Order: sequence, then C-alpha cells, then structure tokens
Amino acid sequence: MRSIKKKVAEEMKRGHRGPDAGCPYHPSHFKGQDCTFCYCPFYPCNDTDLGADIGSKRGGTVWDCTDCLFIHRTNVCRFILSEFERQGITDPGDPRIPGILPEAKRRFFRTGRALMILGATSDAGKSVTVAALCRILSRKGHLVAPFKAQNMSLNSRVTRKGHEIAMIQVLQAMAAGIKNPDYHMNPILLKPKGDTVSQVMVEGRPFGDYDVGRYYGEFVPGPGREIVKRNADFLKARYDFVIMEGAGSPAEINIYDRDIANMGAARLADADCILVVNVEWGGAFAYALGTLELLEDQDRRRLKGIILNNVRGDPSRMEDGARRLEEIAGVPVLGIVPHADVRLPTEDSGSFRGRDSVGSGRIKVAAIKLPRIANFTDLDPLFLEDTTVKFVTDPREIPGFDAIIIPGTKNTVEDLAWMKESGMADAVKAMKGKVPILGICGGYQMMGRTLRDPKGLEGSRPGTHEGLGLFDTETEWDEYSKRVRQDSAVLISTGEPVDGYEIHMGMKVRDGEAPLFRVDNFNESFDEGSVREDEMLFGSYLHGLLDRPAFRRYFLSFASSGEGEVGTEDYDRDVDENLDRLADVFESSLDMDALMGILGVRP
Amino acid sequence: MFLGTSSGAGKTTMAAVYCRHLASKGVRTAPFKASNLSLNSYATSEGGEIGMGQAFQAWACGAEPSVEMNPVLLKPSGGRMQVILRGRPFAEASVGQDPDTEMMAAEAFRAFDSLSSRYDAVVCEGSGSPAEINLLDRDIANMRMVRERGIPAVLVADIERGGVFAVIYGTWRLIPEEDRHLLRGFIINRFRGDPSLLRSGIERMEELTGMKCLGVMPYADLRFPEEDSLSEGRGRLEGGDLRGAFMDNLDELLEIARESLDMRALDRIAGG
Ligand code: SF4
Repeated sequence: MRSIKKKVAEEMKRGHRGPDAGCPYHPSHFKGQDCTFCYCPFYPCNDTDLGADIGSKRGGTVWDCTDCLFIHRTNVCRFILSEFERQGITDPGDPRIPGILPEAKRRFFRTGRALMILGATSDAGKSVTVAALCRILSRKGHLVAPFKAQNMSLNSRVTRKGHEIAMIQVLQAMAAGIKNPDYHMNPILLKPKGDTVSQVMVEGRPFGDYDVGRYYGEFVPGPGREIVKRNADFLKARYDFVIMEGAGSPAEINIYDRDIANMGAARLADADCILVVNVEWGGAFAYALGTLELLEDQDRRRLKGIILNNVRGDPSRMEDGARRLEEIAGVPVLGIVPHADVRLPTEDSGSFRGRDSVGSGRIKVAAIKLPRIANFTDLDPLFLEDTTVKFVTDPREIPGFDAIIIPGTKNTVEDLAWMKESGMADAVKAMKGKVPILGICGGYQMMGRTLRDPKGLEGSRPGTHEGLGLFDTETEWDEYSKRVRQDSAVLISTGEPVDGYEIHMGMKVRDGEAPLFRVDNFNESFDEGSVREDEMLFGSYLHGLLDRPAFRRYFLSFASSGEGEVGTEDYDRDVDENLDRLADVFESSLDMDALMGILGVRP
Repeated sequence: MFLGTSSGAGKTTMAAVYCRHLASKGVRTAPFKASNLSLNSYATSEGGEIGMGQAFQAWACGAEPSVEMNPVLLKPSGGRMQVILRGRPFAEASVGQDPDTEMMAAEAFRAFDSLSSRYDAVVCEGSGSPAEINLLDRDIANMRMVRERGIPAVLVADIERGGVFAVIYGTWRLIPEEDRHLLRGFIINRFRGDPSLLRSGIERMEELTGMKCLGVMPYADLRFPEEDSLSEGRGRLEGGDLRGAFMDNLDELLEIARESLDMRALDRIAGG
C-alpha cells in the first residue's frame, strides 16, 4: 500500500500524461488509453461499477481493478488533476481524494449504447461487420466492446483469466483495440458434440451438456436470460459502445419466443439493430424485407438500418433496388458494401468452407480432416507462408505432401478409431522420418503409444486404445476435468517465444520424450509437448502455436528441404492490418453520419 | 413453375424430380427454362446449345433435349457475355449491358408455346430469385412467364443458411399484388433435423401468405449439375457415367420427395 501511495504521489506531481506508448505493458487495457494514473489515487474505491472484490490467494478478499477502464479515460484523468489543483491536493493520503471519484462519475460515467448487428441468414457477414464497426469506432477514439450473447462454435480461445470464449469475439475485441478480451463478450458458448448435443459453456466455464429441446426448454427460460443481461450490462457500464452480434436469422418464427441470441438479447441490452444481408446468393431484398416484417412490432422498432453486404462487381447496380427497398420497408439502407478481400480467421473457416485447399505455395501441407475436427483456425497462419494447405480424408493422398498436421478434435478416441479404419493411421505412420509430422492437442494425444479411458469419459465406453505409436507417451482420462489456460512459452530448440492456449480433457501421464516447449506462466513453469527432431515428430497441446513465426518457421524448415524462404510475418500483425483494411471498406461504403446518428453521436 | 428464393435454392433439382414424377405416371412432359445464365451447356442432337440443367431435366422426362427447352442462354466469359438464342450464338455483349429484353421475351414465349402444344405438361424453372427489385423490368424467366402464360408457381426455399421464413415471406411481399394469386405453394428444402420443429412457423406462413406448404425436403447430399451455375458447385456427381448416375440419384430423390412432399397437392396445382 505504501509503495502505491509513493507511485501515486509521483503521478500527481507529473500531471497529465496521455497514452504512454513507451511503456512495455502499453496498452494494458485498450488502444489509446490514458496512462496518467497507472496507479489509482482512489485505490481501493470499493465501487462495484468499476472494480470487484475477488478472493485472494492468501485468503480473504482483495480489490481487483483489472476491469476498470474509467480511470484510463482522458477526460476523467484531466478532471481529477484539475480537482487536485483546485483543491490544492498534493498528498496522496489527503482525505479529500475519495470525494473526487463520485463527482467524476457523476460527470463522466455513462451507460454505453448497444447496437446489435443482425444477419438475415448465417454467413450474412455479421461477425465481420461487428469487427469492422469495432475498428471504425475505436479509430475514432471511442471505447468499444464486441458482444455475442450466444455463440455456437468449435473454435474457441482462452482469455487471460482462463475462460473459454469463441475465437471470433477475440478477433472482434482485437479490432476494438482491447488488450484482454474476457468472457463477458461471449457469455454463452455452445460447443457441438454430436449432431444434436452441445456442451454449454457459461461465462467461460463448462455448465452442462444440452440437446436442442432441453436448451430451449430449460436453459433459455431458466438461467439464459439473466446471463445475457448481466454480461451485457457489465460491458455497457464500461464501454461507450457495445457492438452485439446476432446468431443466424432473427426471424425464425418457430422459435421466436425462445430466442436469446437475437431480438431477445437486443431487448435485454436495449439495443438498436442493423440488419446485414449477404447479396451473394440472390434474393437479398426478399431476405431483408421478410426479416424485417416478421419481427414483432416492439422489435421492429429497434431496426434502424440495413446493410447490403458482399457485393461483387459494381455496387451501383444495387442502388435502384436499395431505394425501392427503403420505400417499401421504411428503413434506410446504410450502405452497399463490396466484397472485402481481406484475410481474417472466420468462424465458418471462410478460409476452408467449401474448399479443400487453400494457398498455392510450394510447401504442401496435409491437414488430416478428422470427422470431429476442432479449432482448425490453428492452421490459418500457415497461409502467411509459402504453403498450400489441403484437408485430406483419403489416406492414398498422404505420400504426396511435404508435411503432415493432425489437428485438434472434439473426440480423440472416436477420431483415432476413424484414423485406423480409414487407413489414415498407417498412411501417416509410413511417413515417419520422411516428412515432419505435427500433432496438435487431440492429434498430439493420438501420436502417443497408449490412450487410456478407463471410465469411458472420452469414448463411448471404457477402454484402452493403441495410439499411432509415434511418441512414447500415454494419455489418460481419469476424471471429468478440463484444462483451460493461456500459456506463454519458448521453443526450446531456438529459445524464441510462442504463445498458445490449452483446452483439453485427458492428461499426459507418461512421457519418455524430449519436450518441445518450456512454458513460463506468471505463477508456474513446466515442460510442454514432445519432439524428436531426427524423426521430424512434433506434438503439443498448445493451440495457436503457429500464430507467432518462431514455431511455424521451425516446423516448416523441416519440410522445405531448402526450397522457398519461409517467412517471418507475425500473424497478429497481419490480422491487425487486415482489420484496418476491412474497416476502410466499410467506412467508405456506409453512410457514416447516419450510423453515428443511430449510435447517438451527433456531428 | 418452380421459383427459387435465392440462387442454389434447389429449383433445378426440384423441377427435375417433378419431371421424373410426371413421366413415371405416363404424362408426356418437357422441361423449360426461359433464360439461363450458365457456363455449362449441352449440345442437343439438332446441334444447338442449351443449359446443362435442362438437358438433365429432359432425360428425367424421358425426352430428347431440345433448344426450345432453354431458348435463351447467357454464357459469361471474361468481361463479355455470349447470348445464345434458340441454341445458336446470337451476339456478344459486355456484362451489364443487357441484350434486348423484348426480343428475348418473344423468343421465350414462342418456345414455351411450342412445347405446350406438343407435350401434356411443361415443368418450368425460374432463374435466380423472382424478387430482385433492381432487375424486375429485365427479368423474363420468372414472373413475366408466370403472369403472361398464367403458370401456377411454387417457391423453393433453402433452409440451410437460416432465414427461410423471412425469405419466403419477403419474396411473396415483393411480388406485385396482382400476381400473387399465381404463387400457390412453397417447399422448404435441405432441412436437417426433425421437421415438426418447423410446424408453428409453417402454419404462420400459410396464414400470412395463403400459400400452401407442400412439404419439407430433408437435406440430401445429392447435387445436380447446374443451378444458376455461377455459384460454385457444392457436391458433385462422381463417376464416369454422369447421366446414369444422375438418373439413379434422381430416382432416389423422387422416393424422398414422395415421402416428404404432398405430391397430390403439387399435381393439383400443376393441373391448374
Ligand atoms: S476500480 Fe478503478 S477507480 Fe476504483 S480503485 Fe480500481 S482503478 Fe481506481
């Protein structure tokens, strides 16, 4: 406490600072944050609009400020400093200081506006629109957060606090300039397990398995609404704007009253809405008008604009239709947005959907298309390199590749059985020592010698399964537990940094292999993964391990046989540039004055 | 007339299935699509070029493909568009600069009338969506045929991407009021799951539009050549004997259709 006071005293003396780009931790919260009070003069304020009481490791509680953005707003910093000056406060222990916070809140604490982006169909372009708006608003200096009440996705990420949320909200948070996305941005995550059952994650933690009937019958009317409301409120209290993303179409009249992903969420967050229609498949005007008119009256009033998205060719050919749609629908068309040629990871794997192969580089990488493949966005960074990545289901194709990747899966045991039945297991084993082979998460578990599932937690019944035997490792599922955490690691072979995250059930229990990574987290250090360089075998639990150039370059160097220069591009930087380009496309095609008007910002 | 609520809604296939259905009952049937925007064409025995979809539909009828089944074929290539009339190259136009609509419409009516005089039934397929309000005055393949020849029409809507009720309702709303009585029913295509989940939505749709729901087709991983063909094909027919494989698939699909759709109602609509 004393040292904090000392720091605060220094800050008070220094005066206004603005964003401190020179600080190695900058930005610790969001792009453009004001760093005047890195240490807060009000600590601990005990105001739950701003911070929270959390359990401390030593027992008791401690005041946690990680979600407080208020103190990093420029107008707030300037006001506090001016109050110090006006009242002649120079000592951080001055009893008048706590009185300044309520006044600052009265002046500057506002509940943010929520705007919901609805899609007329799935794949309408909702998530990119949200990402684009987040970036546009963030560039204008607003504090903005993405939000998707309920997301069904197999691609998730782990937040800094160890919660699991959909990958796409992490991307949108990045577009918004947010350093640490958290579970409030995607409070309900459905991870499909089979055709009808999903694992429901609530606020980043497993909640239970539900089929469609029970989900809509029990979960939604039960805890669902409250979860959506409290998380939307949390974000609204901290951000100027919350840009929400709907799910599928809001006009599914057969489940309208049970929806918490679209209009249900919009009501709970009191959001205005914009409808995005993908014109690519035709029928766009019908989709737009039909969606609008099938909404209930109280919901239709929220709909403030329409975006015609993904126009290929000359956008002006849509203009007549857009004007007529406005007349009939009584809602303005905010823009006709051309197809944006950007490279971003997308939920339905825009990179892969409907296509088996991506890229046209020299290094041919086979990604085994497991029937229950998960987190396949792990592979996206390979597109930055001189590679052609192909999803392979036919084992006869395997010998033609320069590298093999066995990706993650929702069910290791069942996909291992598929590997064996299809002949893929033998095809991969036959390549040992000839080309590099990488297993990620479930794929890594498969590469081991034995997979023990004595309680039938992963497979449908108890059993011990023989792995591919590429590594001398054993995996066991012995309790229904899940490891979810973010790791920062170094690649042992080169000493270069790698970031990743783990999401898996089943733990490695025996390991006679050299480790691939050394993980060095804030409070723990351990070896991770396995490697046999001489046989070109690599395995790891770390999703995202290809994002930074270090491991990607290392892995592909085994494949490239001297051919082709393997790049060093940083995936995050590439994504960031693409987000800017995406935002440019939207900004130049949308009626920005009308959009800002909907958001309540007058020019 | 099978109209699609979007490209790739499944109208080519539904029309082919219905052709097969009628032919199997001994009705002399011909397929017809006034105007086709397609890259894949078929050369008829008269040496004319028509869209591949109509060739397959003709075989489904047990008929010989002929140029009247697809009197206007537009083949985009590069920045140009080749206009094929009655099977023969007629002109090249740059994309966006449309050939004479009235002339093409006249061709289409002539071909349709000729087919109707020679066959007991003509199963028509629309092109794209009939509700493209930016193209209405240039669209001959959809409502213009329906209106001027009094052809009863059925909407085929793809549920795979969601928004199916919206697009059925929106299409109906955007069709001029005086023509709506010709829209007699709708088919929900490519559904996965338990169709009873849709019941309340379907009932509401029937109430709102007066169109009858003719059924819900389950998702079938069978795709036929061609349907507004500028979209990439999803799913492909494998094997060398394309035509044989197509017929096998079609018979399978007809079985499914007979289980899933109200074929009697469809027959009544088609009968006038
Ligand atoms: S929550 Fe915010 S205002 Fe309160 S003590 Fe923490 S940083 Fe200061």
